[in-house]
Amino acid sequence: MTDLLEVNGVTKRFGGLTAVKNASFTLKKGEFTGILGPNGAGKTTLFNILTGFMQPTTGTIHFNGELVRELAPYKVVNRGMARTFQLTRPFVGMNLLENVLVACMSPRASEDKDKEARASYLLAQVGLGGRDKEPVETLPYGDLRRLEIARALATRPDLLLLDEPFAGLGSSEIEQLAQLIRRLHREENLTILLIEHKLREFMALVSRVIAMNFGEIIAVGPPEEIVKNEKVIEAYIGKTEEAHASA
Amino acid sequence: MKRIAPIDIAGGILVVAFLALLPMFAASNYLTGVLTVCVIYGIWASSWDFMSGLTGRENFGHSLFIGAGAYTAGFLSSIWSTNPWISLPLGVVIAIAFSLLVGFPTLRLRGPYFALAMLSASAILQRLCLIFWEYTGGEEGIYGLDPLMKTPLHYYWFVLAILVVTVIVLTLLAQSHWGLLLRAIRGDEATCQAAGINVTFYKIVSLMISAGFAGLGGALYAHYQLQVSPPLFSVVVSITVIIMVYVGGIGSIYGAAIAAILLTLLTEMLRGFGEYRLWIYTLTLMLILFFLPNGLIAPLWRRLTERLR
Ligand SMILES: Nc1ncnc2c1ncn2[C@@H]1O[C@H](COP(=O)(O)OP(=O)(O)O)[C@@H](O)[C@H]1O
Ligand SMILES: [Mg+2]
Repeated sequence: MTDLLEVNGVTKRFGGLTAVKNASFTLKKGEFTGILGPNGAGKTTLFNILTGFMQPTTGTIHFNGELVRELAPYKVVNRGMARTFQLTRPFVGMNLLENVLVACMSPRASEDKDKEARASYLLAQVGLGGRDKEPVETLPYGDLRRLEIARALATRPDLLLLDEPFAGLGSSEIEQLAQLIRRLHREENLTILLIEHKLREFMALVSRVIAMNFGEIIAVGPPEEIVKNEKVIEAYIGKTEEAHASA
Repeated sequence: MKRIAPIDIAGGILVVAFLALLPMFAASNYLTGVLTVCVIYGIWASSWDFMSGLTGRENFGHSLFIGAGAYTAGFLSSIWSTNPWISLPLGVVIAIAFSLLVGFPTLRLRGPYFALAMLSASAILQRLCLIFWEYTGGEEGIYGLDPLMKTPLHYYWFVLAILVVTVIVLTLLAQSHWGLLLRAIRGDEATCQAAGINVTFYKIVSLMISAGFAGLGGALYAHYQLQVSPPLFSVVVSITVIIMVYVGGIGSIYGAAIAAILLTLLTEMLRGFGEYRLWIYTLTLMLILFFLPNGLIAPLWRRLTERLR
């Protein structure tokens, strides 16, 4: 199997703060990988760098063998790497269909001639079928996450980056969304990289975990090993103690 | 793709018919002249609305395109004595060239650069007209353009036809997938990027379209006045156009055109008030914008026709 994504020595500094420290890892085609780490570990920053929303201070990223470092975000998307946002960012004032339609207009989706049909199909794919004309303003959180996924899928990605899709959802919603993501991985031949800050949520989902703390990758391995990893346990217990101390 | 409601088409036909027949009832060259200026403002305002209203990137120097179109007509028709009909396409081309000059470096940036660059570019052009007075006629400007048509009434109808075409073309574009992208850009550029959309490209092309119609309007104005002068580039023109769009209802295009016509008429009618004119005009605008932040014309029309949709 070839490496779809190759991250090499990526560091991102914000002034004195190093949000991501010398991160290196690879993703193989078809893999389902999770990024685990407490809040502030640098997970979102890493996503921003991978997708061109931020430039790394140092380091390189190769996607499909091509250097993506200085590409604008929309170009990264059109190379086949799509993302969702942790804080969902729908187009306010537009209905669900129009929200997905925007992404159906990307060059990568140029083969989809009937844009409306494609957008409508994608909404159905993520469990929002038959609600094309609904405005986004009244949409509950879980549905907004699905909408974000539909928009990302519209660009026909090879690699899908999901930034904390389960945050703020109830357990039954999480289970349904997890099923959807699992199905996309299986049926759509997607490589997925998923961020989560709670260990429990995605242990059953991913086949490999990249654990981060304070900007550094502290462990990589299958979930069964990661839960037993000392550094990971320390990162999490350390966090809880801090939380208790400050409470 | 949105369909245009039959009631909107019917309303449009009525308004255009009314405007076309208006000078027949009160046959005076004065009224025809005023209406011609009204309609030209309509072209300027709707062209501003297409780019800035839809994408939310405010252009504080639309007079750059208007003036570019007008001066192109001035040079061609008066100084080089070309066929006056050449002014129109070339006015469009030159205005588009200016839009690339300003839009290309600034529309890729976030923040106020584009708005400020438009403002400065129009101010610079106004100054350049004075500095190179040997070529531009300085304060006086360029005189002696040839008219495009024999009678003022014919010219008015011609300009009205151009406004109608402008509003139809821009509305169809605004309702198309293209327009959807422009509205998405107004909503959230980062999400557009995440959707794989080259926002800079769409902003630049929409500015080119906006500039093209404004340049056409500028050339039409020049061939109405048969003269061009530096105030065409002034910030007053730009601000007037923006206010018209806000009164019309931003992003509606037809609202901008109708507000432009009504406000231009209002300024004319207030001439009788002498020095109070500006006060009344400004107060009216402030009241409208204060109490109706979404504008007057388009929201009112939507409200009135709600049941017929
Ligand atoms: N644009 C930014 N400017 C300055 N600091 C930032 C910026 N984005 C993130 N950070 C900081 O970088 C660190 C990592 O943040 P983030 O990547 O959002 O963490 P995570 O997603 O793992 O919770 C945090 O300390 C955060 O405050
Ligand atoms: Mg985060």
